[in-house]
Amino acid sequence: MVLAATCIAVLSVMALALARALQADTVYDRILGINMFGTKTAVLIALMGFLSERPDFLDIAIVYALINFIGMIAVLRFFEYTATSGR
Amino acid sequence: MILETISNILLIVGAFFALTGAYGLFKFPDFFTRVHAASVTDSIATILLFLGLILRTDFDLVAVKLVFVLVFVLLTSPTASHALAKSARHGGVATLAESNNKDNTDG
Amino acid sequence: MNTKTLSHLAIWTLTLAVFWLLLSGFFKPLLLGFGLFSVLLVVFLLQRMDSFDQQPEQPALGIPSLRYAIWLVGQVLLSSVKVAKLVWSRNKALSPAVAKLPLTDIPDNNRVRYANSITLTPGTLSIDIDDQHVTVHALEQESIEELQAGDMANKIATVLGGKS
Repeated sequence: MVLAATCIAVLSVMALALARALQADTVYDRILGINMFGTKTAVLIALMGFLSERPDFLDIAIVYALINFIGMIAVLRFFEYTATSGR
Repeated sequence: MILETISNILLIVGAFFALTGAYGLFKFPDFFTRVHAASVTDSIATILLFLGLILRTDFDLVAVKLVFVLVFVLLTSPTASHALAKSARHGGVATLAESNNKDNTDG
Repeated sequence: MNTKTLSHLAIWTLTLAVFWLLLSGFFKPLLLGFGLFSVLLVVFLLQRMDSFDQQPEQPALGIPSLRYAIWLVGQVLLSSVKVAKLVWSRNKALSPAVAKLPLTDIPDNNRVRYANSITLTPGTLSIDIDDQHVTVHALEQESIEELQAGDMANKIATVLGGKS
């Protein structure tokens, strides 16, 4: 019960982060929203594992957390000195 | 069960902090303050949610894996925030105080 | 290769092996073989990197690091409540502040941990770091004063060890 409610809360946080990323006016705001979306996805996968009582999902959560971080750093390397304001 | 009650409380409080961060993402006025709001979701909400999940396991390998995910997220999320703030700073995003000063001198 | 580097590599091998076993939880020969291969590969890369930059780093797994982590979680909790109040309060003007904090007291190998701890705590964010200073952006002037009082810096320097 509480697990399901927490899943819904995390899902709405992800929706809000995505909405923020879509209506952002600089590229950094977008990346901020996407980063939050990614970390919450790892949390959501772990929660879903408990909700469906299959803890194997945790391995996917680990991989997702790591890939999210590496992806963030790659995107930021790409943008660090090139973008002043992207629309 | 006492453990399950504590776990429920932790999950609910964690979800509340996550929503707080998401609301702050819309409410706060400039980029750097929004990073602060996002870091509420990234740090405290993650800690509370994973602690709540750990209390629901039988304290076996699953709990250890949860601890690993928690440690990964706690090590990587500040690094990502720092990299983001640094590249925004170098990319010329002004802080709130700086843009206020600019408005004053312009007007 | 002297005994110091050997024991350093041995500690890493042990840590990584335990890490692999905890993550996999299987004891079939094939999977153990994969684990052995990965651990040896990582230790080989680690040895090359250490001989390149001459800054070997032990895994921080002792009691002091654990105590520091618990203290840090407490700090994160306290400042999260502060930031949450700021988020939900109506018509309260924000007064973000930027300051440069000196890094000279912190040993080289702990500066990343210091900057990461600052960023992990909601309300403070390290936005730039160089040899002398770390530039900190805070939601409130108060948080910067707390950092300037040097509580976190002292804990890092003394609790996490590493002579200055």
